[in-house]
Amino acid sequence: MTDATSNILDEATPEHRRGSGLMRLALSNEFGLALLIALAFGIFAMTLPGFTSPFSLFTIGRQIGIDTMIGLAMMAVIVTGGLDLSVGAIGVCAAMVFGYLAQIAGVPLPLAIPLAIAFGSVLGFINGYVVVRSGVHSFIITLASMSIFFGIMIFLTQAQSFNALPLAVPAMGKLRVGGPISILLIITLVVCAALSIFYRYTTLGRQMLAAGANARAAELSGIRTGRIIIACHMLTGGLAALAGLMLTARTGAAVPSMAGHLGQDWLLPAFLAPVLGGTLLSGGRVSVIGTLLGAAFVTIMTSGLLLMRVGEFWILACLGLMLLLAVLADRLRHQVLRARGMI
Amino acid sequence: MKSVAKITAALLLGAVACSPALADPGTKVALVPGGPHPYFAAWEQAGKDAMKDFNLGAGDYRVPQKWELAQQSTLLESLLTQGYNSFLIFPGDAVGTNATVSEIVDNGGQAIATAGCLKDPTPALFCLGTDTGNSAYLGTKELIKAMGGKGRIAHFTGFLVDPNTQLRIDAVQKAADETNGDVTVVQVIADIDAPQPAEEKINAYLAAHAADVDGIVTTAWVPAVTAANSLRKIGDKRIKMVGIDHDEVVLQAIKDGFVNGTMLQNPYGQGYLGSYVLDKLRTGCTLKADAPWKSNALTAKFVDSGTVFVDAATADTYVDAMRGITKTLLANFEKDFMACK
Amino acid sequence: MALSFTRIFDNDWVGPGLVSLAAIIGISIFQPSFLSPFNIFVLLSAIAVNMVIALGQLVIIGIGQMNLALGAFGGLVAISFVAVMELYGVPPFVAVIIGFAIGTLAGGASGFVIARTGISAFIITLAGLQIFKGINLGITEAQPFYGVPQSVKDFGNLSMLGPIPWLVLPMLIASIGMWYLFTRLRIGRYILAIGGNRTAAELSGINVTATVIWAHAISGLLAATAGMMLVARLQIGQPTIGDDWLISSFAAPVIGGAVLAGGHVSVAGTFFGVVIIAIITQALVLFAIDPFVVQIVLGGLILWAVGINRLRELRVAKLNERA
Repeated sequence: MTDATSNILDEATPEHRRGSGLMRLALSNEFGLALLIALAFGIFAMTLPGFTSPFSLFTIGRQIGIDTMIGLAMMAVIVTGGLDLSVGAIGVCAAMVFGYLAQIAGVPLPLAIPLAIAFGSVLGFINGYVVVRSGVHSFIITLASMSIFFGIMIFLTQAQSFNALPLAVPAMGKLRVGGPISILLIITLVVCAALSIFYRYTTLGRQMLAAGANARAAELSGIRTGRIIIACHMLTGGLAALAGLMLTARTGAAVPSMAGHLGQDWLLPAFLAPVLGGTLLSGGRVSVIGTLLGAAFVTIMTSGLLLMRVGEFWILACLGLMLLLAVLADRLRHQVLRARGMI
Repeated sequence: MKSVAKITAALLLGAVACSPALADPGTKVALVPGGPHPYFAAWEQAGKDAMKDFNLGAGDYRVPQKWELAQQSTLLESLLTQGYNSFLIFPGDAVGTNATVSEIVDNGGQAIATAGCLKDPTPALFCLGTDTGNSAYLGTKELIKAMGGKGRIAHFTGFLVDPNTQLRIDAVQKAADETNGDVTVVQVIADIDAPQPAEEKINAYLAAHAADVDGIVTTAWVPAVTAANSLRKIGDKRIKMVGIDHDEVVLQAIKDGFVNGTMLQNPYGQGYLGSYVLDKLRTGCTLKADAPWKSNALTAKFVDSGTVFVDAATADTYVDAMRGITKTLLANFEKDFMACK
Repeated sequence: MALSFTRIFDNDWVGPGLVSLAAIIGISIFQPSFLSPFNIFVLLSAIAVNMVIALGQLVIIGIGQMNLALGAFGGLVAISFVAVMELYGVPPFVAVIIGFAIGTLAGGASGFVIARTGISAFIITLAGLQIFKGINLGITEAQPFYGVPQSVKDFGNLSMLGPIPWLVLPMLIASIGMWYLFTRLRIGRYILAIGGNRTAAELSGINVTATVIWAHAISGLLAATAGMMLVARLQIGQPTIGDDWLISSFAAPVIGGAVLAGGHVSVAGTFFGVVIIAIITQALVLFAIDPFVVQIVLGGLILWAVGINRLRELRVAKLNERA
C-alpha cells in the first residue's frame, strides 16, 4: 500500500548491513524522530512562555499516552498488512461497557477494567474471524463492523453517557506521578515495554511478524496464518479498549461521542503515530518505540503551535507544513548520513 | 538539514514575535466553540465589542480546527497555559467537556457553558444558551399552526452522539402529541449535519415521500439549509417548513415563500453577555444562589439567551429583535443573578 | 460454453453489478416510488459526484498508494471556485478552469514530493490534507460562500434529458476517460505496472517519478471536478465539502474489485460500488429506518453486498479449477 522505498531502515538492503551498529542506529527512523522531538522541544521551551510549566507538561504527557495507545492498537493489526477502521468504535464500545459495569452493575474496578479489555478483544476476534473466514480485505470488513459496533452502542445507550463513575476513575485522569508526569503516560510506557518484549521474544509475536512479512512462506514453515491474523485483531481490540478506558479516565465519564461519529476521530492518530514511527503499512515490520515517538512528535508540535497563537484559523495549515518539513528534514538527514557512510 | 532547521527556527521565532506579550491582564476571555461552524461567527465580534465596552484584557474567539472533543480539550488546555482565565465554551460533549472545565477551575479559571449546556454536576458557573428542546418545541408549534393544525411532519436533525439531538426529537414529538393525533411525526432523519449526506438523504426522502408529508421541521443548521434548497428545487410551496438559525439560504427562502419561518438563536448576545458576566464575577460579584435559574434536561442553572421565530414579515428586522433581547438580558442580569459589592 | 460463461463472470464488475440490480429490483417492489423520475434524478446526482470522487482515489490505488488529501483538494477547489466568482466577478467558465488548475497543481505538487523524496504517500498526503484543509479554513473562517451564479446552480439542479441530471455529464467524461487511460494509454499501463511491482516496472525502463506525479495530478484534477460538482449540487460553497470523502472513496473501488495493494483496478466495478453505496443510503431513508439503528443496518448491508460478491468469486474460482 506504500512505497517500498518509504522504509527508511530497510533491513534487507545490504548496504545497511555493512554499516556499523552505530551507523544503523543513526540511520534509524526512531533516532531521527527522537532528534526532531529534542529539537522542537528545545526551541519551544526556549521561546514559548508556559510551554514547560507543570500543567503544560502534564497535559502533553497525557495526550502522548492516549495517542500512543491508539497508535499501538492500529499497529498491532498493521503487522500482518491488514488494518482496522473500527478501532475507535471498539474503544468507545469497551468504554461504554466499562461505564455500565462500574456505574450501573456496581462491578468493582479491578474486575470491570479487565472485563472491558476482554470485551474489546472479543470485538477484535469478531473482526479477525470474519476477515479470515471470508477472505475479504480487512478494510471492508472493519468498515462494516465500525458501523455495526457503533450503531449497536448508540442504540443501546441512546447516546447517553455514564457520568457517575467511581471517583477513582476521574482521579486517574488527573493523577500526576513524579512531578508533572501523567499516570496515563506511565501506563502507556509499561504497555510499550511489554509489547516490545512480546514482538521480540515470544513465539506468537515472532509469528505475527513472519506472517506479515511473507504470509506464504510463513504458512509453508508451519505457521497457521489464519489464527495469527485473528490473534492480531484480538490484540488490536484489547489495546483499543485500553485506549478507550484511558480516555474515559481523562474525560471522567464514559461518553459515546468521545471518539466522534463512528469513532472516526481516532483514525488519524491511529495511523499517524505508527507510520511516522516506521511501521510498514504492508506489514512485517513494527516499531513500538517509533509509535511512541511518532505520537510524541505530533503532540508536541500541536501543543507548540497552539501556544504560538498562529492566526485562529491557520493552525491546521501550519501543522501540515511542520509535518512536511519534519519528514523532509529526516529524509535529508538520512541521505547525508548514508552518503558519508558509503565513502 | 541545517537549512531546514534554520527555516523551522525562523518560522517559530517569527510566529512568536507576532504574538502579543503576556503582561497582566485583567479578565482574559476566550470564546471557544466546539469546532469551525458558521453559527459561532457572531462570537468573534461579540468578544471584540465586549473587550472594548467592558475593558477586558482579552476577548478572543479561538476555534478548534475540527469538531473533535479531543481537539477542543487540547485547545482549552493550551489557552489556560497562555494565561486566559475566563472561558465561554460550547461543550464538545455535554458530559465529556466537564473534565476539561474542572481542570480550568482547578487552575483558577472560570467558565460558562455557552450555546449548549453541560450536564449536572458540572464545574461550570452556569449555562447560557438556547433552550434547544424548547426551541424545537416552539418551532414545531409554529409549523403545526402553518399546517392548519393537522398533517404529517418529517423532522431532520443533527448527529445522534449529540445529546441535544435526543432532546429535539422528543420536543418535536411532544408538540405533535399535543394535537391528539391530528399531527404525526412520520420520519426522523438524523446524523445529517454535513452537507453531502444531508443533501443525499433529504432529497431521497422528498423524492419518495413528498406527497406523504405536509410539514418539515429542521433542528440543525445544515439540514435547514439543505431542506430549504430542496423545497426550492422541487418548487413546492404546499409543504410547510420551519428551519433553524440565520443562514442566508434559509432567510432568502423565507422571503421567497418556500420556508415559513426559522427559529433564531442569539449567538452574539451569548458572547457579549457571557464576557460581561465573566468580568463581573472576576471583579467582586458572586452569583446568587436564589436567582431565577431555569432548568432544562441537562442542568438546573440555565439562562435562556433568547430565541425568536422569524417569518417573512420579520426576516429583515430580526437583528434588531435580537439586539433588544440582548439589551434586556444585560440590564436584568446584574440585578437578578448577581450580588456585587 | 462453460468457458465463456466463466469468462464473463470473471469480470470484476459483474458481482457488484448483480448486487446493484438485485437491490434495485428488490427495493422497487416494496417502494414503487423508488423508480419515479425524480428519485432517479436524485440517485443519479449522488452517484455522479461520488463516482468522480471514487475515480480520484482509484488512480492512486492503481499505483499502490493512497491519497488522504483527496477531500482537502476538493474542498479547497470548491471554495476557491465560488470565491473567485463572488469576490472578483470571474465568469463561471474561467472559474472552472481556475478550479481545475488548483486541483491539478495541488495533486501534482504532492505527487512531486512523494516521487522525489520517496517518503510514503500516506505521510505526504496526510500533511497535504492538513495544509489544504488549513488553507481552506484560513480563507473561509468556516463561513460558506453564497455567491454561486445561477448558471452553476442550474447545472447542479436541472436535468439534461428526462430524469438524467446534467451532473452525469462530467461523470461520464471522467469515467470514460479513466477507462481509456487504464486500458489504452501508456500512462495507464505504467500506473498499473508500478502498482503491481514497482521494482520490475523500474527495471523495465518505466519513469516512475513522472508516472507518480501524473497519477497524483490526475487525482487532483478529479477531486477538483467533484468539488465543483458539489458546489453546483449544494448551491453554496461550503468549507466542509470534502470532509467526509475519505472512507467512501476507498469503499467504492474496493467493493468494485480494486486491490488495495495496487496494480489492479476496475472502472466499471467502481461504478457499481458507488451505485451500491448510493442505493443503500437511499434505502435506509425510504424504509424509514429508526435513526438509532441506521448505522447497524448500514454495516449489515455492506457485509451483505460484499458477501454476495465473495460467493461469486469463490464459484468462479471453482469453475476455473474444473476447466
